[in-house]
Amino acid sequence: MNRDAIPVSILYSTTGAYAALGREAVDGAMAAISDINTNPQFGFRLVPKIDDPAGNAERYASLAEAAIRQHGCRHVIGTITSWSRKEVLPIVERYGALLWYAFPYEGYEASESVLYLGACPNQHLLPLFDFALPRFGKRPFIVGSNYIWGWEISRIARELVETAGGEVVAERFIPLGSIEVAHIIDEIRQKKPDLILSNLVGRSQSAFIEAYSGLQQQDPSFEPSVRPVVSCNLSESDLVDLPPDARSGHITTAIYFDRLDTAENRDFKARMGARHGVHRPLSPPFTSTYTAVSMLAQAMADAATDDPTAIRKVATARQFQTPIGPVSIDVRTQHAALRPHMASSNREGEFVLFQSAGAPIEADPYLVRANARMHRRIAAEEPDADSKTALRVIK
Amino acid sequence: MRQPAQPNLAAWHAVILHRPHPVVDALKRQLELLHIEVETVWPELEPRHAEADVVFFDVDQGYDGQFPWPAGFAPMPLIALIGSEAPGRVGWGLAQGSNAHLLKPLGSTGVYSALLIAAHAYQQARGQAEEIRSLEDRVRQRPTIVSAVLQLLEEGCDGEAAAWKQLRASAMESGATIEETAEAICRNARRSRNGA
Repeated sequence: MNRDAIPVSILYSTTGAYAALGREAVDGAMAAISDINTNPQFGFRLVPKIDDPAGNAERYASLAEAAIRQHGCRHVIGTITSWSRKEVLPIVERYGALLWYAFPYEGYEASESVLYLGACPNQHLLPLFDFALPRFGKRPFIVGSNYIWGWEISRIARELVETAGGEVVAERFIPLGSIEVAHIIDEIRQKKPDLILSNLVGRSQSAFIEAYSGLQQQDPSFEPSVRPVVSCNLSESDLVDLPPDARSGHITTAIYFDRLDTAENRDFKARMGARHGVHRPLSPPFTSTYTAVSMLAQAMADAATDDPTAIRKVATARQFQTPIGPVSIDVRTQHAALRPHMASSNREGEFVLFQSAGAPIEADPYLVRANARMHRRIAAEEPDADSKTALRVIK
Repeated sequence: MRQPAQPNLAAWHAVILHRPHPVVDALKRQLELLHIEVETVWPELEPRHAEADVVFFDVDQGYDGQFPWPAGFAPMPLIALIGSEAPGRVGWGLAQGSNAHLLKPLGSTGVYSALLIAAHAYQQARGQAEEIRSLEDRVRQRPTIVSAVLQLLEEGCDGEAAAWKQLRASAMESGATIEETAEAICRNARRSRNGA
């Protein structure tokens, strides 16, 4: 039987300032496409149109437009930074295509032309701070890349800290891709914050982690158990090129970790090893894009078309079995309900899970419910009881 | 005299503070069809841009220090160009003193009404600022009014109400404000006391 060939756009920067994340994303997407194309249950084949905007935000729109208009793609799996997502948004809206966005972001968006499969702040920063502030203290030092992700996560963090009666020691930003971090380390050494929230991206994140580890080794009062780095976007690819001493003790939250001990993940890892020879630990970017492409294919099978309107309808009406667990997408916000996990890195640069949400948390992209909680808390001037209930410690 | 409903756009000079981008092209097209002269600038305005009649500015990539005037003191209406609706960015746009906004990406309409709303809001804000300044001046003059009323009582007025009435009457006669009249009464009293 001839299977229809359906073109899909895979749009990630595999060169440039955050290339390692982009390469993981493309690998995940291609593994999913290979699984779909070799599975006779699907009556179609996906044909990837892979483009590399090289971390240059200005190139995303033209590449997405060409994939849609010249290659007939109706679905774009792509973009990591919010800057690049904002560039693709008008293109998918104009041509009635659908963007599958699979990375954590800062929220405050809900386009009908996007399915949001990455975590937004109530699924990453809020659980992270619910864990970290009571343990390490309420005086974070915040570092970030100088664009919307860094700015907005920093702003939300400040709001959370101040509502909790704490104080942000400092907020420092460096350009996306910059590795000039020495002045920030000096300031951290002087100010001795309780913890460091890093919203740095790609090679800036690696450079900062390596430099801060240097300080940790010089001065035991900065050890990870005392003043750790916590992040909503630290992944294996940020640690892989660092010396073993620099890799360990950093805390991150994500919707997937290689060591996630679930039936879905055991099966996923076995398949990735057997079919694709992927024996390295699987990262959140790899798994998230794998999940996005798999969900697209399942929705296409259900809808018997790749028409974005029909796909959107199907995708927001069912639950998907995925490597990260069962996923459903809220029809109102087009965001996935996700189960955040927390993990700490070891000397191998792998993440060891220590806490997980009991169930998927519905996305609150405009933080309306979280904001209501903060207002109630300020009004009552009493400890925030309900924020702890979302998480449980994994034994 | 009654003001025309629309400002004289044909005489306007608009500045767009935004990096080169399709949004700028769409905005320029809409402004030019309104016969508005357009200049695009990035990343920072120069002092001469204080002469512009309206400034459109990018909120997404904007940063402090792009304008040659202190935040909130623009000498013309400001229109924010918003892509990310993150409250941090919207707050930054508000702190610059934006009088209206347009959402990116720009469609084929919306610029004209944003111009009218921004011009109106700017005039209203300026009028209110002037009114507040004059009210603050008057509040500052309150001790002088109290002194003048006490002076009039000393000069033989029969009670506070009568003194207050006389102060108002004097102000009306001389065509001055109550504050100015009170100031004159106190000045005269000082002179008499000093035997001038």
